[in-house]
Amino acid sequence: MAGSLVKISEETVTSAVASVTLGGSDWDSSYDVYILQISGLDVDTSNADLKLRFTESGTPNTTANYDSASKVLISTATFVNNTETNQTSADFSTNIGSLVDKRFNSTTYIFNANNSSEFTFYTSENTSMDSSRLLGKQGGGVFTVTSAVDGVQIIGDSTNITLGNFVLYGLKK
Amino acid sequence: MATLEELTTEATAEIEAAKPLYKQVNNERLEFSSADYDQAITDLANSNWNDQQFGYIQARQEAYGSVQDQLDMQYWDNVNGTTTWKDHIAQVKSDNPKPE
Repeated sequence: MAGSLVKISEETVTSAVASVTLGGSDWDSSYDVYILQISGLDVDTSNADLKLRFTESGTPNTTANYDSASKVLISTATFVNNTETNQTSADFSTNIGSLVDKRFNSTTYIFNANNSSEFTFYTSENTSMDSSRLLGKQGGGVFTVTSAVDGVQIIGDSTNITLGNFVLYGLKK
Repeated sequence: MATLEELTTEATAEIEAAKPLYKQVNNERLEFSSADYDQAITDLANSNWNDQQFGYIQARQEAYGSVQDQLDMQYWDNVNGTTTWKDHIAQVKSDNPKPE
């Protein structure tokens, strides 16, 4: 049986960039569900985090229409709830240490991207280490605009992304 | 506490100092456009505003400790007539003040 994940695009960051965008001209609208896999992501500011935006016609939507809710699992402290509404980007990651052994890894599912009459949702789970602690994050968010989106942008929050592999898959029906 | 306007001024200086900034779009590394720089300033100011206004919430959640630990403190306070739990909560609030 053929695999059910179809690779749409892949990006590798090897020089510092403030954001990474997948999709746009590379977008394949024939899937109901997409998966964004990020591995080995590093940043140049210790304990920085990442934000997420969706693109429409290849352009990131920066309006205050992102809600998110997640639980941060901390190896040495009480777990924490993160909730936000009406933000200009979605809260996406745990804090990321900038050392070689503390890189960020993540899997994100994206739903309803091509449906222009429904909001676009995502669920995400990721893990990283900050300066000393293991952090896991599990939750999701919604882009509260009834439009078709055609890509995703990952943004360094007060940091550059210096390394990382980004792969966007379509989940075959 | 800084106003959003003051944080925007700081963010403008920070982004100016960090130039040039780049974005990667479909494996092409491009320098920011003028609009990208404007957005980066807005994003940085908003991020710092959120940290300033709401950062204490996460800091308190982490520092309070688990409900189980707090119940244990309250139990022993009851047994011993101490104020460990109340002191602990007061200390966490004091260490992570809510912005005025």
